[in-house]
Amino acid sequence: MSTADAPATDIDRVLEAGLARAGQDAANDPLHALRRSGAERVRALGLPERRQETWRYTPVSFLKRAEYRPFTDGPITALQLSDIEDLLLDDHRGARLVFVNGHFAPSLSVTDGGAGLRIASLAEAEPDTFGAEDAAQYRHIFSALNAALALDGALIEVADGAELEHPIEILHIAVGGDEPVIVSPRHALHIGRGAQAGLIERYASLGESVYFDNVSLDVTLGANAELTHQCLQQESPTAQHLVDLDVRLGAGSRYRYTLAALGGDWSRSDVRVRFDGEGASAELNGLMLARDGQLNDVHLDVDHAVPGCTSVETFKSILDGQGRVVFDGHVLVARDAQKTDAALANHNLMLSRSAEVDTKPTLEIFADDVKCSHGTTVGELDKNMLFYLRSRGIPEGAATRMLCQGFAEDILGRFDDPALRARASRLLDERLAPTEE
Amino acid sequence: MNQEKQMLLSIRNLRAEVDGKEILKGIDLDVRPGEVHAIMGPNGSGKSTLAHVLAGRDGYDVTGGEVLFEDHDLLGLEPEERAAAGMFLAFQYPVELPGVNNTHFLKEALNAQRRARGESELDSVAFLKLVREKMQLVSMKPELLKRQVNAGFSGGEKKRNEILQMAVFEPKLAVLDETDSGLDIDALRTVSDGVNALRSPDRSVILVTHYQRLLDYIEPDFVHVLADGRIVRSGDKTLAKELEERGYGWLSDGEAA
Repeated sequence: MSTADAPATDIDRVLEAGLARAGQDAANDPLHALRRSGAERVRALGLPERRQETWRYTPVSFLKRAEYRPFTDGPITALQLSDIEDLLLDDHRGARLVFVNGHFAPSLSVTDGGAGLRIASLAEAEPDTFGAEDAAQYRHIFSALNAALALDGALIEVADGAELEHPIEILHIAVGGDEPVIVSPRHALHIGRGAQAGLIERYASLGESVYFDNVSLDVTLGANAELTHQCLQQESPTAQHLVDLDVRLGAGSRYRYTLAALGGDWSRSDVRVRFDGEGASAELNGLMLARDGQLNDVHLDVDHAVPGCTSVETFKSILDGQGRVVFDGHVLVARDAQKTDAALANHNLMLSRSAEVDTKPTLEIFADDVKCSHGTTVGELDKNMLFYLRSRGIPEGAATRMLCQGFAEDILGRFDDPALRARASRLLDERLAPTEE
Repeated sequence: MNQEKQMLLSIRNLRAEVDGKEILKGIDLDVRPGEVHAIMGPNGSGKSTLAHVLAGRDGYDVTGGEVLFEDHDLLGLEPEERAAAGMFLAFQYPVELPGVNNTHFLKEALNAQRRARGESELDSVAFLKLVREKMQLVSMKPELLKRQVNAGFSGGEKKRNEILQMAVFEPKLAVLDETDSGLDIDALRTVSDGVNALRSPDRSVILVTHYQRLLDYIEPDFVHVLADGRIVRSGDKTLAKELEERGYGWLSDGEAA
């Protein structure tokens, strides 16, 4: 754990350690160029400061409280399936890719996910598979840092026209050590033209240690492809978590994303969706929980660059104690993007007056024939509802949790996977319950 | 009535304020097990305040008197403790609970009461059997159980849902606050049939109502008239008839004279 006199994280030392670890065999390293470009960008950007709008309410002070180092121990092979049994979804029958501290764990994984599915590990990619990324690709220091420190990740491809019966699961498990570490999985998923697939993305931990899960996930949908993407973030309460999700949608494709961000000391989901072809649709849903001391941030960047696309963004948060939520929902409708349909909503339920929510829904519209709306609410628990439940014999704490579940229902209800939905609902209940003394 | 029976509810000189304004100005009322009492009175007489004070709603300051429920101080209990002790309030305006499933709510509530009483919880199978049985009492459509509590229910459906809860919880005392308001004649009959089916020597009912018509369906043992925060007249069911014919005016005037 960090102490008051612990040294702060030195980004140059982080990069050195990361590159040294990876760079022993630069000639054969498929990620060499990627790492260099990331490192370069990290140095150029430096740590975010409060005056930068996208970081204004999301200070990265955790990096100043402790010295984080890249996780360098290599794959953890000692873990057995029985160790992670509690984390597995009931009745999950598709591919399951388990990453332990950012490294793919074949012995815990199932890679056979049906016809038309190809899965590879980033660590075993052929040399020259990855070139240097264009610097503009890196949205901020952490996406560049992920590239600089990248060691492993899943490369998933669903063939044109394939219809996967079961969703592919990527399960991230953090196994704590004594020192704060940065874990940098880097995944890419491509859904071929007309293909249909599901992705379940999960984050969990064994034990409570300090780690920064700094994830990059690129998703591309070919024309008329369909992806249902469900994400459950149940990181350790001592962890920091950032996902840089980049989605590109081909013409006529359909993308559905549902996020439940319940864990972590500090959590940020950067979701960027770009419409590359006409007639595509994106539905983005999210539930954020911020208990006492927790910060939970969602940044949306939805870019309607082409005409005739639809996006619906619905994000809800529950705040307790001195919890903090940041919602920055930005929807851009370009001049040519006529017939765009966009609806952005953010609803916040404050269980405590010392909690804080900073919400900024923004519609930036340059086309003139569009249907766009946004709405934001911040409210407390309804006293009539609370009394009604109590008058039926339900004690105040349980009544509060029941109403929170009710508030969360229209987000969690969009999890297609029943086991995932039940798990998210149970976690929400547990994390809302008063902590045992 | 049976004098030997232990008193279920005993209200003594109850005074209560809302926002510093005295609404109840000394209420006395005794209810024995099995009795049905109607409390009638004009708007603003304090009927609903009495119902809410009994259920323990916030915002009502009890400034004097006491309420004993089976010889225990009711006013010292939290609302959920009153429910577990056997007290039930059917709301005049049942609250909608978006996102909360009706079956889940009923089961959680029943089991919370049972836990508080030290009884074993009902599992899903036993609970569903119980609910199905009770639903017949109020002729409720089964799909309403799958819906969110009261959300999008019609006025009649909401009131039936209240009586269904009463049937499931089997309280010792049910206070029905203006349960007849907003009901058409068919719904009124259904709801009344439900209440009548739940009448038993162990269950008492307080009907709070503005109108006499509810009492055509649920016959009370006693009728009390509340005016300006006091019970100004008590009698049997013939008092209700008299009120229907003469209105409330003559009682208040009599009081003033």
